[in-house]
Amino acid sequence: MNFLQTGVGPAALLAVRAVVPLLALYVSWRCYTSFKSGQRRRDPVVMLVDEASGAEFPVLYWENSIGRAKSCDLCLPDAAVSRDHAVFMRREEGWFICDTGSKGGVAVNGRKVEDRKLVNIGDRITLGNFTLTLRNAAQAPSPKRRIFTSLLREAASPFKLMFVATLCHVLMAFQACFAGEGFNPAALLPEAGVFLIGWGLFAWSMGYMHRVSFEIETVGYLLSGIGVNLLAGFDLNGVKTQLAALLMGVLLFCFLIWFMGDMDRVARFRLPIGIGALCLFVLNLVLGTVTHGAKNWIYIGPLSIQPSEFIKIAFVFVGTSTLDRLQTKKNMTEFLVFTGACVGFLFLMRDLGAALIFFATFLIIAFMRSGSVRTIVLILAAAAFGVFLVLTFMPYVADRFSAWGHVWEDPYDSGIQQTRVMTYMASGGLFGIGLGKGCLKYVFAADSDLAFGLLCEEQGVLLGFLVILTIALFILYARSDVTRSRSTFFSIGACAAAGMLLFQTCLNVFGVTDLLPLTGVTLPFISAGGSSMASVWGLLAFLKASDERTYAARRSGRHGAAAPPPPPARRKSPEATPQPPARRRPVEVPPQPPVRRKPAEAPPQRPRPAAPPAGDMEDIYS
Amino acid sequence: MKTVGFRSFALYILLFAFLGGVGWLGFSLVAHGSQWAMQPYNGHIYDEDATVELGEITDRDGVVLAGTQEGRRVYGESETLRRALLHTVGDSAGYISTSVQYTLRAKLTGYNLITGLNDTVLNHLGNRVQLTLDAEACAAAYEALNGHNGAAIFYNYKTGDILCKVSAPTFDPENVPEDIEGNEDYKGVYLDNTLSGAFTPGSIFKLVTAAAAMEKWPDGWSERTYACWGAEEIGGSDITCMGEHGELDLYGALGYSCNLYFAKLANDVGGAALEKKAAEMGFNRTLHFSTIEIAQSEAHLSGADPNQLGWAGIGQYTVLANPYHMMVLMGAIAGEGEYVQPRLTRDTGFFAGLTAGDRQLVSHVEAAALKSMMRSNVENYYGDSLFPGGLNVCAKTGTGEVGETQDPNCWMVGFCDSVENPIAFAVVVEDTNNSIGDAGGVISAVLDVLAE
Repeated sequence: MNFLQTGVGPAALLAVRAVVPLLALYVSWRCYTSFKSGQRRRDPVVMLVDEASGAEFPVLYWENSIGRAKSCDLCLPDAAVSRDHAVFMRREEGWFICDTGSKGGVAVNGRKVEDRKLVNIGDRITLGNFTLTLRNAAQAPSPKRRIFTSLLREAASPFKLMFVATLCHVLMAFQACFAGEGFNPAALLPEAGVFLIGWGLFAWSMGYMHRVSFEIETVGYLLSGIGVNLLAGFDLNGVKTQLAALLMGVLLFCFLIWFMGDMDRVARFRLPIGIGALCLFVLNLVLGTVTHGAKNWIYIGPLSIQPSEFIKIAFVFVGTSTLDRLQTKKNMTEFLVFTGACVGFLFLMRDLGAALIFFATFLIIAFMRSGSVRTIVLILAAAAFGVFLVLTFMPYVADRFSAWGHVWEDPYDSGIQQTRVMTYMASGGLFGIGLGKGCLKYVFAADSDLAFGLLCEEQGVLLGFLVILTIALFILYARSDVTRSRSTFFSIGACAAAGMLLFQTCLNVFGVTDLLPLTGVTLPFISAGGSSMASVWGLLAFLKASDERTYAARRSGRHGAAAPPPPPARRKSPEATPQPPARRRPVEVPPQPPVRRKPAEAPPQRPRPAAPPAGDMEDIYS
Repeated sequence: MKTVGFRSFALYILLFAFLGGVGWLGFSLVAHGSQWAMQPYNGHIYDEDATVELGEITDRDGVVLAGTQEGRRVYGESETLRRALLHTVGDSAGYISTSVQYTLRAKLTGYNLITGLNDTVLNHLGNRVQLTLDAEACAAAYEALNGHNGAAIFYNYKTGDILCKVSAPTFDPENVPEDIEGNEDYKGVYLDNTLSGAFTPGSIFKLVTAAAAMEKWPDGWSERTYACWGAEEIGGSDITCMGEHGELDLYGALGYSCNLYFAKLANDVGGAALEKKAAEMGFNRTLHFSTIEIAQSEAHLSGADPNQLGWAGIGQYTVLANPYHMMVLMGAIAGEGEYVQPRLTRDTGFFAGLTAGDRQLVSHVEAAALKSMMRSNVENYYGDSLFPGGLNVCAKTGTGEVGETQDPNCWMVGFCDSVENPIAFAVVVEDTNNSIGDAGGVISAVLDVLAE
């Protein structure tokens, strides 16, 4: 142990700390680029052909709005067609046409459609004066260069990314062994737990479920592992809870992915989920315990749960919606009332941070559903008025924020947490003081509300910034899936979940650094807090479900059991293998199903049939 | 689907707000990181088991005033030296916020944004501080204070180098007294009286009253005479003098330090003019010494009645003076009206001299007149024998009454009108009656060491 005193030891640990952010950066960036390069291109799935004029309407998405309005995915310029006439969408059974309250109605092969109707290749759909026939997109898609081609290039192997993420964790765990006096190998145990959970998920997802992408999970694994190892340096005994929560979160993640596989099931459970969430709030108010000014904990024996964390998931569920529902039920009264109830309950519980997160998520969902800037402005004005009333009649609420912007004027009382975070963040420098060597840990809530400060102090500002930027990157994941997902349900859900995570990160990070008032919310993935950790993984499920590949592979696992898992070479992006056009499309992507018969069962190198048999769309997802 | 995709661009508002925030945070960290880290509560600096080693502090001759040995902060060799330099060097806990260890802690810790407060080679580069002080002179000053509280500050009015700076009460930073919080003797012990103290000036303020008269009657001030018969009613109650000086002009009045002369003079000058002159000379404004705000010297006379104005004219009433300010005022009088910005280290950098603002405190004519009167004080009244030979000391004593329960503050301010030893000083000794003996004794002891 002599080397610890000589200065060589600390220098070596400093070097180790400098490597961690580099590895994390690699994982974070390559996960995103791999995710992007594995996506299918925007080629038409099927065609709707106007037999009278010969005009072709390419069907680009899983859910397509049809109507007179220019904003529709398929615009039919005809006075007899309503603005938002119908939705043409893909479900498990095949393509459906769905009348969304049109004046003129929709007919398939001359028969009027009541709710929705399965449409086969060759069927004629009548909307107003248009009669459209469903056809396969006959042409091979023209090779198209992507922007950022050079940047995205090849996808990295999921195994490799997981490996590097694990390496990153192990280097942190190694440091945690030196947190106290001498070398304590027990500090490696939390990492062992993270390792088992992470690689367990990997084996389940890639090995058993034959999923083709693992980027979002890898990012979650990377961040969770950083969090757990950070806490290992803080309090080795307390990490058990965090690990249990991580396991629960991962299970919740898997469950939600399965649950969201069936759109009809989701639709059926929407109402019960909403009611359940409100009941949970009531339960919280009745049974809850006030901890540090907020009544947001329920204690069941040794277990403590923060229900509001789980209600976040329910909130996204209730808020988001499929396109046909969006078009038929345009007003959001239902959701508005639900939001009002949630925010109201959170106010009663004095959990202002969570109330803000719900409200911000509501704004995202409301805008994505209505697209009306006016609505958003009205809601914001109403909210501002509400805040004004609260501040007028409940001045103690304002007192909680009195330190905002003035923390340096009172560094020993009202500004104690923020000033400590800033001081110790700066003390850590780019690479940190070392796990367990920090001083912020002596400040109240260092491992939860101030976790960002703890991370920056002990592991360095570089890793701290990298972690929050990685969380911000979820916005780009959600955005790039937004028109590729299987339904607007997933698009909106993913955007809401990503927005929620980022907004919470903003509140946490900018709260402790005095850019925003300190509201006491956790930093996703990093902060100690079982409910928070589990719910964050629940939110990740929305991002994962939004990726159409998630379910594509599932089909291939079931129907195409004979098909081998995709060899790595197939993960190359189209441009990486300048081959015949048919191979230019990544095979594992669930693409233009009708044009390819059971593609997953087909050998990957087989060129796509030029004239696929029409009508059979059993394996659209493959 | 297209529309939903389009609407999702709204998420970029959040993303850009976030990136903006992160950018601002990064910028603040670069711009203020050093300030953030250098807080007195920072356990990485001020702790038994500090993470980073503070660099060495030495005096101008290389005498070590503070250093780090085996992770512990150690101070000067003798207890006298440690006590004398406590307020200048600082304490381990960082309570003395005007000390070098506090104000220059970014340099001493070698703080940089890259390695933060890690104890690395990078942090050891240039973390040594050499002061302009003479440690021996400080020890001499402390010993000459002889257990009294007070302040003594000396500087070279040509170069600005602070040569001696001592404040009492004080303690030994290596053996912090256990009763430091409760014991009355240690009241205000963390305050550096030279920089953060303000004391009733007594007669040294007569220099200001005299300067105000010179400004009011540029040609006639020297012929102005008043009579003194021990005590006289001014504005309803008596103002008393130490003697019966008869008819005096300004020279004589300053030499005898005649209260009645200056009380009457102050009333003839007028409160507003006296306050204005005092402000010109640095009262009622905050002077800066590197990053430290000096305690204000105060002379607020606007509401004073004639009696109060009379007392104010002789440095009583509510008038207060700060030793650092008095020292630079002496530096200004010695230097034709303008003072040189004092400094404690030679390498505070390029900007050190630029931050001081207006340093002209009196006109050069007034400076010359005040100088000759102060020289006359020593020559004819205090005696040159008080000081080491050949220094040509110009000075003024003062006795600031502070109430019934305590003896007055005894002051002596002045400078050596000497090319070899251009030293200006201000010394205040609390709770004593002997200005010339006690304050003069401190000055004599320090000049003995400093004079070449």
